Amino acid sequence: MEPLLTIKDLTAGFATDNGAVKAIDRVSLSIGKGQTLCLVGESGSGKSVTSLAIMRLLEFAGGRILEGSIRLAGNELTDQTQRQMIRIRGNQMAMIFQEPMSALNPVFTVGDQIAESIRLHQRKRKSEAKQMAVDLLRMVGIPDPETRARQYPHELSGGMCQRVVIAIALACRPELLIADEPTTALDVTVQAQLLDLLQQLQRELGMSMLLITHDMGVAARMADQIAVMYAGVVVETGSVEALFDQPAHPYTVGLMQSVPSMEGERLSELRTIQGHVPSLHALPAGCRFHPRCPHAMPRCTSEAPPMMTVGTLQQAACWLYGDVAAGFAGAPDSDNGEAGG
Amino acid sequence: MTEYLVRRFIQSLIVMFLISIVTFGLIHAAPGGPTQIFLSPGLSQEAAKAQAHNLGLDRPLPLQYLKWLGGFLQGDLGYTFKNHLPVGQILWPTVGHTMVLMGTSWLLSLFIAIPWGIYNSTKAYGWSDQTASFISYVGFAMPTFWFGILLQELFALKLNWLPLSDMWAIDKEGQIGDLLLHLVLPVSVLTLGFLAGYVKYARTSMLEVLEQDYIRTARAKGVRESRVIYRHGLRNALIPIITIIGLDLPILVSGAALTENVFNWPGMGRLFVEMALAREYSVLMAITIVTAVLVIVGNFIADLLYALVDPRVQLGRKGGTAA
Repeated sequence: MEPLLTIKDLTAGFATDNGAVKAIDRVSLSIGKGQTLCLVGESGSGKSVTSLAIMRLLEFAGGRILEGSIRLAGNELTDQTQRQMIRIRGNQMAMIFQEPMSALNPVFTVGDQIAESIRLHQRKRKSEAKQMAVDLLRMVGIPDPETRARQYPHELSGGMCQRVVIAIALACRPELLIADEPTTALDVTVQAQLLDLLQQLQRELGMSMLLITHDMGVAARMADQIAVMYAGVVVETGSVEALFDQPAHPYTVGLMQSVPSMEGERLSELRTIQGHVPSLHALPAGCRFHPRCPHAMPRCTSEAPPMMTVGTLQQAACWLYGDVAAGFAGAPDSDNGEAGG
Repeated sequence: MTEYLVRRFIQSLIVMFLISIVTFGLIHAAPGGPTQIFLSPGLSQEAAKAQAHNLGLDRPLPLQYLKWLGGFLQGDLGYTFKNHLPVGQILWPTVGHTMVLMGTSWLLSLFIAIPWGIYNSTKAYGWSDQTASFISYVGFAMPTFWFGILLQELFALKLNWLPLSDMWAIDKEGQIGDLLLHLVLPVSVLTLGFLAGYVKYARTSMLEVLEQDYIRTARAKGVRESRVIYRHGLRNALIPIITIIGLDLPILVSGAALTENVFNWPGMGRLFVEMALAREYSVLMAITIVTAVLVIVGNFIADLLYALVDPRVQLGRKGGTAA
């Protein structure tokens, strides 16, 4: 079956005072119908840029898609005009954001904000849309939805606001929901409730989900597939089981080890990855992770590794897995020349 | 709400009382006095003293103030030293004249500046925005009296298209058409002055709003760009603009002394300058009090508008709004 969303070699970036910067470089991902893909990585790895590019909202943030393809249900999104995109956004795909309190417009009631979403994409009378908004509030687990619908965002808690944001996103039953760190700004207990809610709604509506998180715990709980991003490139993809059982890329291994464990020896020191994410202006040649990699080889400093198959459901961009599949996912990164080989 | 209004009213009374004391003190602290100004220079010291005694100017200041306050509370604004005219008779017509001039300029500048500033925020650094910036710099930097004189020179003296000054031609008093002709030049000067600030405020305020997360949410919902700006952005952008408008409201009556002088407009600004030079204490007190009332009313209107535009502001609730 064809995946709902297929991203191929997506390159996007920003024009800055120091020249154009590629925030993501040849990112390829796909999400099957009803599946959840978790995009994990540190801040600045390009997760949010990827999600904004898919929504074609990157243009409003001063960025631009430079190359590549984004296909949603057979529809090439990079070819759409913004005029065409307004019919897709909020309808076929929707997005929820990190800061629920600031994601809602302070001067409109939450009911109005949900009803607007409905009326943008469906022919409904105002009263009908309002009733549907109340039903949506009930669906996302807000008690006394009739009263809540008439309230303003500042009268609601952060967790409630995020439920409203979810209701807005789901108003038109999108096929794809993009959630950019949806629980990061919330209390741990509220986080768990919201993740449960998202999972339950996903099952009910049969939608696919792209969940962006830096929290491996969230990824383990929610994902079918995981894609790990580092400094603007995807370094490893695979099923959640494969990635947690046998992380292949040294960066993924490092990420797993830096999750505090509740089991085992309590005094064991929390591992960290040495160094920090490189600036997009000064990316290292070759593999972008090599300056921090414990297994770096001479080849890594000059030649960017392509995606290589390391298991049935797993691929990693690392020379540790040899040359066998070279050419499988494209030639070496042109940015770094053709040295080595 | 009622409690809020009552509290607000009492606060205003206290503020007014303090303002009147300070103004009274300042006016009397200024060197010179009415006796030096309108008595004939040849008058003897004794005669001047007798005159001052007749006017009550030799009494201690606190007593003079209480006398003024007593009259004011009974609706008596006092009389001018010269000609002994009731202050109200001099003051009220000028209030109306100033409101015509300032009201026209102010409304005109708002109607131009807010839509223009909002438009410029969506095309920041485009040619329209650059033009507005240029006009703002000119408006801020150029003294109004100088700009006024330039306009008079060109349109009244050289081209003879428009009247030079005053509110009406001498034989056409009360005619609307003639008033409009007389308004063109002073209104142009004042509108430029107001516009310079407002167009920038509107632009900056909207630019800030367009950066907000809820604007991104609106776009993610599939809201088209014009609706993003005019429905989701505008109301939020207006909130800070309303503050500035409210604070500017008193100018409508207190007037622009310089512009009124250049164009010989019979308004309150010009009256204030004349009366300050003549040391007409009662008129100065009355003008100050009228202005103070307007400052307070202006702030109050701004707060009401706040509550109307921003649901987070609730009048009378603790922390809702500054009193």
